[in-house]
Order: sequence, then structure tokens, then C-alpha cells
Amino acid sequence: MARDKIYLEEIFPSPFMQLWQIFRKTPVAMLGFSCFIFLITLAIFGPILAPYSPIEGQLDMLLLPPAWHLDGNVSHLLGTDELGRDMLSRLMYGTSLTFGLSFIVVIISLVIGVLIGSISALTSGLKSSILNHSLDVILSIPSLLLAIIIVAILGPGISNTVWAVVMVLIPQFIHITRYAVKEESRKDYVLASRLDGASPFRVLHYSIFPNIVDRIMSQATLAQSAAILDIATLGFLGLGAQIPLPEWGATLANGLDLFYIAPWTVYLPGLAILFAVVATNLVGEGIRHALKLRKER
Amino acid sequence: MLIFTLRRLNLFIFTMLALTLLSFSLSFLFPGDSIINISGAINATPSQLIEIQKAYQTDDNIFWQYIAYLKHIIQGELGISMASQSEISTEILNLLPATIELSLVALFIAMFFGIPLGFIAAIKHNKPADNIILSVSMVGYSIPVFWLGLLAILIFSINLGWLPSAGQISLLFEIKLITGIQFIDILLSDSPYKWQAFSDATLHIILPACVIAVAPATIFIRLARTSMIEVLGTNYIRAASAKGLTFQQIIFRHAIRNSLIKIIRHVGLQFANLVTIAMVTEVIFSWPGIGRWLIESIYQRDYTAIQSGLLVLSCFIFIVHILTDFIYAALNPLARGSKYGS
Repeated sequence: MARDKIYLEEIFPSPFMQLWQIFRKTPVAMLGFSCFIFLITLAIFGPILAPYSPIEGQLDMLLLPPAWHLDGNVSHLLGTDELGRDMLSRLMYGTSLTFGLSFIVVIISLVIGVLIGSISALTSGLKSSILNHSLDVILSIPSLLLAIIIVAILGPGISNTVWAVVMVLIPQFIHITRYAVKEESRKDYVLASRLDGASPFRVLHYSIFPNIVDRIMSQATLAQSAAILDIATLGFLGLGAQIPLPEWGATLANGLDLFYIAPWTVYLPGLAILFAVVATNLVGEGIRHALKLRKER
Repeated sequence: MLIFTLRRLNLFIFTMLALTLLSFSLSFLFPGDSIINISGAINATPSQLIEIQKAYQTDDNIFWQYIAYLKHIIQGELGISMASQSEISTEILNLLPATIELSLVALFIAMFFGIPLGFIAAIKHNKPADNIILSVSMVGYSIPVFWLGLLAILIFSINLGWLPSAGQISLLFEIKLITGIQFIDILLSDSPYKWQAFSDATLHIILPACVIAVAPATIFIRLARTSMIEVLGTNYIRAASAKGLTFQQIIFRHAIRNSLIKIIRHVGLQFANLVTIAMVTEVIFSWPGIGRWLIESIYQRDYTAIQSGLLVLSCFIFIVHILTDFIYAALNPLARGSKYGS
């Protein structure tokens, strides 16, 4: 009889895998996670899947209500707007603009923020104190206000919005990384690896990062929901994505004039934003819940 | 308490310097000539321009220019608006009270509903009531505020016709501007229709204030819930129940007071969030506040107004921040000790 395992081997999953195992058992978090994956897929493949062009309208199909409405037409499932543009296609293209861009924004600011944060955690004294105080000042200004100011400097436009939101999110990542690295460096296992003669960067890479990656991810989900809302709000205010672009906030602002005749041009993009933010927040809640459970073990 | 005050004062001065430095550097970052950006004098004749340049010491190096800018700010001169050519400081003084009024009302609504709900969720921890409150708060936290505002207008102003959708007060009433805070002005005025005006202003503030309050209220629910759960797990609560106090007595005499203190600490931080939401809401509800003014000046590329608006708004947020810190320290002796990073 063949035995696969001769020795009873004890496996210690990495902190990240431990987190995933708890996360997997929370149904609500998994629901949020699958919605999140769905949105990412839509953001990548949306432009291929969309049935119509988001910019070119059909003039014989103006202000068509959604298909479940009496006057609806099933070829335009979610209706059309005042220029005859298909709402479903606009929303699908908008996924890659609002959700996809916010995902990219979070990744860029995460990389920059974690780099600066971990380097600054290794420093001490005056430099660190100045950084600490400047971070306090920046974090006390609300993110949207800061984004509006940066857009005012750079000028309106979708690419400027992206940079503005990146800059707004970086301080939060610096703060959380710095705090987490400092807290982790006080622990004994870090001391042990330092006594083994590991250089600060080796300690960071092999000892500290695997243990703080979950906290950074939890912050990333918070940042992502803030990024979606910020991009959409800037789009709504006319400071972000410009007119023909089907960004969700801009689409919503576009439907504003016809709000009373064609309410679906307003509530559909709003629902899309709500769906994206709720999915992101559910994932974040799942991670935080799993973190708490893991600590209690 | 003295050391605490000094620390806060230190932080306050540092932050104010940082904020003025930021708004000073904005004048160089914005497109166009920095001296015109800083003063707003786009129609100035060459001789006037030379005078302005002298006042802001543009011939000296950058440090003295900054000092000159600081002097102007301390004297309350923020330049003139590029779009309307009127004094920005008077414009801000007229608009800021409306924003303060709206955000304070919203803050009270948020605390009034958020904190008790959070307490209920904590007392019913891990029961259906807790889960329902948490899921509602999650949705409330995720709703984009401009969308919520539009839906509120559609339902309560258009379909039901209960509440007005725009402005601070009906144009029929003539209220003289004294403090800028509408309710106080109405009470101070000697108009015969004082009470009609008062109820009209109340009707106008309900919708925008409730829309603003939704997101902070959900955060208060979370804060109240966590702090209550924490307090209920402490030893003094266990001691109180061992002494035979009823559950109600424990909650009302011990638990609520101790968990409220922890919430007050976060009010300052939430206020910053609330003011941003208020800015967007002011645009939707045509509320004559500083947020709408600031966003309009971005449309008009009124750089002087953007610069000073940012400065005033962030100063206001920071002052509230420091004030709540003081209230927290006054209420909680534990917080007065020196702590790292404060």
C-alpha cells in the first residue's frame, strides 16, 4: 500500500494564506469578492463585450426607457440617453474608466506609498518627525478637497484626475506602512533575524512584509472605495472625465437635465457606482473580519 | 493640561505655516503670472501693478515674498477675485457661515441618529439587529453623495412636494445679513414674518443636511458600536454587574458615558469628511456656501479665489479638529498625558 506521506508533516501557511482560509469561509465576503472579480473582468473585457458604441448615438432611438418598461425595446436593455446612446454599453465602457482606473490608481499609490513608508520607518530623529508632522497636515485635509485642488492646478481631464487621486491616496499608504513596519520591528522574530546579521532591507523583505501585507490590503480596499467615489464625484462636477467619455459620474451629470423625463439616465450610473463601492467595501470588511479572527486564534 | 495646550498650539502653528506655504506655492503652480494669481488684479494698470509688486516684495528672494504674503494674510487681505473683482475676504465672510450652519446641523443629525444606533448594535452584538444595522450602515457609507442628493430631490421635492429643493430660504423673505448664520439672523431681524421665515429656513435645511448626514452617521454607527463593545468587555462593567446593577443601569450610568468619550475623539476627523461632502451637496442644492463658491471658481479659473478658499476651508477644518481635541482632553483626563505623535 502506497503512502503519500511518511512523516506527519506540520504545515504552517503564510500569514496571507491563513487570512485567505478564514476569508473563504465568510459567505458575504466571498460574494463581495466575486462581484469584485466580475467588475475587474468587465473592466478589461467590457469594450469587447459592449453591444454598441458608447459615443455614437442612434438618432431614431432617443430616450428609450429600459427594456422592462412598457415603451422599452429589448435591443437596448437599459434604454438610451438623449443622443440615442445605449446605456448598457456606456455603463460597460464606464466600468473600465471608473472602476478600472480606480484599481490602477490604488496600485500605483500603493507601490509608491509602501516604498516611501517602509524607507521612512527605517529612519528616525528629525527627518522622521518632519515627515510625521507633514503627514498629519495632509491627512487632516479631506481627500476630495485635495483632489479638487490638484485638478484645479493641473486642469480638468481624466488623466489629471487619475494623478490627483494617486497623489491624494499616497499619504494614507505611507502612514499605514510606516506604522505597521514600526510596530512589527519591535517584535522578537525581527530582532532574531537582525541578530543573524540580516541587513535592514533583507529584514523588510523577508520578515516584515509577509506579516503586514494583509493590513496594507485592507487599506487598499478602503483606498479603492475612496478612489471610485472621488473619480465619480470629480466626473460629476465636470472636473474629471470630459463630455463624450462614459465615466459613471460624468454619465450621471449628463443625464441631469433630463432627470424628470428620463430618470434611468441618472439612477443607473448611480446604481453602478453604488454596486462597485459596496463590492469593494464587502471585500474590505471580509479582510478586516479575517484579520480580527486570526488575531484571536 | 498646560503641556497639552502647548503641544496643540505648537501643532496648530506648524500646520498653519504649512497651509499658508501650500497656498503660497499654489500661486506659482497655477498657470499665469504668480503676482496676478496671488492678488487677483487682472485688470490692473502698469502703475498699479508696480504697487502690488512692491507690496508683495517680488524683487526680493522667495523667503521675503512668503513673509510679505503672510503679512497680507494676517491683515485679512486675501486679494480680489479674478472673476468678480470683489474682495475675497468679504465674500468668504459672507459665505462661510452658511457652510458652518449646514455642516453643524448635519453633524448633529449624524450624531443624533448614528450614535444610538451604534449602541443598539453593540448591545445586540452578533444578533439580527446588529447585522441589519451594520449592513444598512455599509450601504449608507457606499452611496455616492451626489446621487443620494438627486434621489432625495426627486422623491421629496418633485414627487411628494414636501420639501424645497434649492437655496437657503425662500426669496420672499428679506433677511438682513448680520452674522451670516441664517437662523440667528432671522431671530435678530424685526420682520413681522419672523416665524414664517424661520419655519421656511428650517424646511430648506432639512433635505441637504440629511443628505450630508448619511455618510458620517454610518461612521458614527461603527465608532459607537466598536467603543461600546470595548467598554462592555471591561472589568468595571463586570464589577458593576457583579454588584447587582440591572442591565439598564449599567448601560445608562456607566457604559454610555465611557463610550461617548471615545467617540468625541473622532468627531474632529469626521468633520473634515463632512465638510467635503457638504461641498458637493451645496452644488446640488444651490446652497450659498463656500463649497459651491470654491467649485464655481474652479470652473471660472479664478485662481486667487481657489487659493484663498482652500486656505480658509482647511484652516476652519483644522480649528474644529483642535477644538474637539481640547474638548476630548477636558472630558478625559487620560488623554492629557504626553503621547507619541500627538
